[in-house]
Amino acid sequence: MAGQGGRRRGWLQALRDVLYGMTAYEFERTARERRAELEDLFTLVVFGDLLGLPILPSHYALRLLPYVVPRVQVWKRRLLREKDLTEAEELHLH
Amino acid sequence: MSNGATPVYILVGAVLVLSAIMAAAGLGNTLMAIIVGAVVVWGGYKLYATQIDRKVIQSDARRATPARMYMDGVDFVPTSRNVLYGYHFKSIAAAGPIVGAITAGAVWGWLPALLWLALGVVFMGWASDYSAIVVSVRNDGNSMSATAHRLIAPRTRMILFVFIFFYLLLVAGAFGNIIAGELTKPTVPLGIIVLAIMGVVAGQMLYRMKLDLVLTTVVTVGLTLVAIVVGGLPGSPVAALFNGLNGAVDGPAPQGVFQVLNPLTGKMDPVKLSFLFWLVGGFVFCYFGAVLPIWRYAQPVNYIGFWITALTIVLGGLGAALAVFLNPKVGTFAIPAFKGFMGQAAAGAIQPLWPMLFVTIACGAISGWHALIGSVGTARQIESERDMLPVGGGAMFSEFTLGLLSLLAIATVAQGSGAPAFAKGMAGFLSVLAIPPEAGEPLASAAFVIIVITVVQLVFRVMRVVLVEALGDRAPIFRNIHFNTLVSMLLTFLLVASGTWIYLWQLFGGANQLMAALSLLLVTVWLVSTRRNPYYAGLPFAFMYLTTIAALLVTIYNLYATVIVPSLGQAGREFAVAGAGAMVLVALLLVVAALFIGYDGWQALQRYQERPPRVAQAPAPSQ
Repeated sequence: MAGQGGRRRGWLQALRDVLYGMTAYEFERTARERRAELEDLFTLVVFGDLLGLPILPSHYALRLLPYVVPRVQVWKRRLLREKDLTEAEELHLH
Repeated sequence: MSNGATPVYILVGAVLVLSAIMAAAGLGNTLMAIIVGAVVVWGGYKLYATQIDRKVIQSDARRATPARMYMDGVDFVPTSRNVLYGYHFKSIAAAGPIVGAITAGAVWGWLPALLWLALGVVFMGWASDYSAIVVSVRNDGNSMSATAHRLIAPRTRMILFVFIFFYLLLVAGAFGNIIAGELTKPTVPLGIIVLAIMGVVAGQMLYRMKLDLVLTTVVTVGLTLVAIVVGGLPGSPVAALFNGLNGAVDGPAPQGVFQVLNPLTGKMDPVKLSFLFWLVGGFVFCYFGAVLPIWRYAQPVNYIGFWITALTIVLGGLGAALAVFLNPKVGTFAIPAFKGFMGQAAAGAIQPLWPMLFVTIACGAISGWHALIGSVGTARQIESERDMLPVGGGAMFSEFTLGLLSLLAIATVAQGSGAPAFAKGMAGFLSVLAIPPEAGEPLASAAFVIIVITVVQLVFRVMRVVLVEALGDRAPIFRNIHFNTLVSMLLTFLLVASGTWIYLWQLFGGANQLMAALSLLLVTVWLVSTRRNPYYAGLPFAFMYLTTIAALLVTIYNLYATVIVPSLGQAGREFAVAGAGAMVLVALLLVVAALFIGYDGWQALQRYQERPPRVAQAPAPSQ
């Protein structure tokens, strides 16, 4: 009986996940994208020299460095990755 | 492959035998078609797709996917396969499978449409969608255009962009026509106007007021549903109001402003002012979707629209499955199984089953657009390689069921074709579940318009981005989003106002299927370059490539023979001639682009076949 109950719960969870993917997941993605846009902009303005931009970090900016270091690699990869038309956000919405 | 292929032959045999029994024994009904659909989905997935996934692609749960390697919390995010399946299905499922199936059913009968949907998805559709994800996952999550640039030739990327632009323009034209045609019915506009208002309200509630999603859904979807049903009641004051509006708009030219050919009847149909009025009305709806921030309008509108269409389709599907038991008349096919190889066409036009059926039904059987979005949005979220098949292949098999349901809806309606027949058929299915046709038909009509108009608003959104990319550096005005959107709408308006709809649709199908052929070519080249058996993608590529080029040539002939020649020099038909001329040019451009792709693909295949196979390095002897 426990096995049947577990299977039923598993099916219900799968159904919930599919429905979530069809509905609210788009909102989650949009929220993530908006947040990343702001964070990327902030990091670019404060630590643009990491990408070769001639922005000298101020003394105060350096105090933020420990908080930014963990995501520097990801940030550089995202900003420098080649992007084309097919990656426009609108293409993923239907 | 010889042993592995046997179950596939059995599957194909089962589909053909079941379909033949349906057609020959007069057993054409919704239940039999659903059984064929179930056999296709189960057999295609288990007997064929799974074999390719395990034996050719050799998906391995231990291999790191781009989502895991480059996890950035934005694009590269490992996501549960169920969530991703829902996301991918929602991304690929739009109006394409519905419109294609109902058009093909009207031209050739239900049997060819059913067979192409079934065999197309089993041998090509899932392969294209799934493989696009595979290639991206195995190439660092690169987009299809970037991989084509690297594996085939640099100009392949540019050709892909050409396909994308004309795909967008043609789909906007084909769908714009449908939207205007449906909105001229006085029972439809209220629901669409309320949908637009509710879209703004939902955006405000979610993002500004930070209200709960469930509450937002209940309020906005509920009010839109009420508006659809109230506006759709025959004889209601709302319908009378819109009827009066249409009459007033048509007042200055009751016989229409100009004429276009109806390719099915061969007669010249008048284009009325009310049609143009609602075409512009549809554009206004889409304009907001194209220029406002996506969270403000387009996304909430799509979200509300999803619930309306999902409700209609799920209930309609349930009604179709039960119809044979509860109301057999509703579930029995009323249109001929087969209308002949040349189909139903205007005098002078030709609609041979091969190649035209294969571009008329695109998305329910195979679609290049799916591969395009799968290679970027979905591939970068794949958590395990074992998820590639359930997500990519599974979503495509699900889309097939959407096309099948649309075909069933029109197959059970004896009179009429296109969107009205679809609405009537769906209303019949809904009536099996005790939803009266007075409510069911407006609901089905509204669901149809919603699924079309939500796509078109995003099409204009992408078109303005395309124009910035293509012309923004040369002419600064093309960096203006409002200007770009208006240019896109003007081009679409000219296509709709001048066009003969079915040719527009078949041209769109041609652009879409050429993208599918390009996707399959890319997969074939990748399979060859990695020394895998390329035939599961190579053979569908060859078929789609030749078929689509032939279909484009037939469409050029049809436009010339049935629109340009009879209308040339005749007063009131200048628009039709100009539109047909523009469509011929687009078709020629697509053929030339396809020839370039074929040449570059052949060169790439030769290049990778000549390269010696990679041999694993022997380990260095230990000292």
